[in-house]
Amino acid sequence: MNLKKRLLDFVDVRLGVRDLLAQNLTKYLLPRNINAWYTLGAVLLTLFMIQVATGILLLIYYVPNPDEAFQSVERIMNEIPFGWLIRNLHAIGANVIVIALLLHMLSVLFMASYKRPRELTWLSGFLIFNLALGLCLTGYLLPWSQLSFWATTVATDAAGAIPVLGDEIVRFLRGGSMVNEATLGRFFALHVMGMPLLLGGLVGFHLFCVRRAGISRPPFGPTYQPREIPDHFEHEEHPGGIPFFPNYVIKDLAVICFFLAFLLAIVFFAPTLLSPESAFVPADPFVTPPHIKPEWYFLWAYQTLKIFPSELIGLGVQGAFMTFLALLPFIDRGPERRPAMRPIFVTSFFLTLFVFVAISIWGHFS
Amino acid sequence: MDPQSTPSTQRRQFLYIILGGAAAAFAGLAAWPVWRYLLPGRKADLEAKIPVARREVPLGRAFFFNFRGQPAVVLQPAPGQFVALSAVCTHLGCVVQWFPDKTEFLCPCHGGRFNAEGQVLGGPPPKPLTLLPLTIEGDQILVG
Ligand code: HEM
Ligand code: FES
Repeated sequence: MNLKKRLLDFVDVRLGVRDLLAQNLTKYLLPRNINAWYTLGAVLLTLFMIQVATGILLLIYYVPNPDEAFQSVERIMNEIPFGWLIRNLHAIGANVIVIALLLHMLSVLFMASYKRPRELTWLSGFLIFNLALGLCLTGYLLPWSQLSFWATTVATDAAGAIPVLGDEIVRFLRGGSMVNEATLGRFFALHVMGMPLLLGGLVGFHLFCVRRAGISRPPFGPTYQPREIPDHFEHEEHPGGIPFFPNYVIKDLAVICFFLAFLLAIVFFAPTLLSPESAFVPADPFVTPPHIKPEWYFLWAYQTLKIFPSELIGLGVQGAFMTFLALLPFIDRGPERRPAMRPIFVTSFFLTLFVFVAISIWGHFS
Repeated sequence: MDPQSTPSTQRRQFLYIILGGAAAAFAGLAAWPVWRYLLPGRKADLEAKIPVARREVPLGRAFFFNFRGQPAVVLQPAPGQFVALSAVCTHLGCVVQWFPDKTEFLCPCHGGRFNAEGQVLGGPPPKPLTLLPLTIEGDQILVG
């Protein structure tokens, strides 16, 4: 006990950690009506840490070379003790992250927390979302199975619909005219180094934005009033609120446990839920397996490319939608955040969500 | 039970112990698979005999090979007589070299010298090279 106090004293005298901890834990007050949706950020942090840890472990035995990649993954699954656990946590964890990202984004949309002064928080979050999907796409190729190979072929091929530059872009993405070892090389480098570094930086910036602006007050309850937004910087305070530690940390931990239980349930009881047969066959550039489909979170994009008369229009619609989403805080600028007072927004929110789900299901069965 | 009968610091202590215990158990549960995953694999058969073809080992010559993950050597010092030795120097673990004209091993690191039976002839090595058992079957030498 005394030792602990002396250690803390030593660091405290030099870095003022007691004050820092108090400011960010016990004296960091959150709105009294804060809800469980605000735990998703902590859930995402945890899930990303699991991805990093399991990713480094996989790197020990994975060989990024077309002749050996598939075999090295089979070895991890079948020979290395607990390799199946590490690999499944990583592969299925990626899917759980996408779920958590979607929920985080949807809740932020519904509560309009993206509005001024949190435009940068939203923008960095939007970039994080895209980068996470990029990590999913590049990681998918690495096992070098039939599924990896052909899903990557189809995904990179879509860029070919861009006029004039299309073919060059496809060649650049693949490092050649077809998916080959050059593709594996660049996807590997992006997946294990480029994108994670960028993601780390962006997450840091995102958290900085969240902390600096102050957490938003959920726009619910009889006492809620839209906040007067000053035109100079002002940290949003919540006097009389509940402390982050221990009160909200407990809630964060509870929801984290829930997500971990969900992840482990799939890892233990349905590990092949997301792997069709072609995931168990090494890549063969001369045989395309039937029914190549992207992962569930890309189905909407896959299907929109098929619905429109030309792929170019499909790509254009996707691009326009993503741009709209990225710039939403600069387009939707009214101060009102209460869903009941924003009927047009809430209607479009649910309609869009419905359309996305429907298109994805259509894509799955088409 | 009267909640006032136990002081709150004592209840807090109790909760800390429970929480700490649960956290430690969880950490152990997570650490065990990682530890096993990282542990160098015991190469399946540490018992297996390693075959060396007789014609690889002409009279007076040495043949170096991988014996269960370690460098080893087979010699034919006299016609029909074979010796298998670990090729790892007993001083600091360099791999010895065979000099057929001198019929001795020389260690390149600190000049340790061994004869064809692995006995130390000179230099810093404290012990002879480890002798490996071998049997001869047809045109195969089985080491181990
Ligand atoms: C790596 C992925 C992400 C991590 C680790 C992360 C982390 C966090 C954390 C810890 C918070 C504060 C607590 C909370 O409200 O949950 C937060 C808030 C926020 N996030 Fe994210 N986030 C991620 C992705 C995203 C995405 C994809 C978006 C939207 C495009 C987004 C938009 C926001 C906004 C606008 C807030 C402010 C919420 C408020 O103050 O009410 N984040 N994020
Ligand atoms: S290691 Fe061989 S003589 Fe020192």
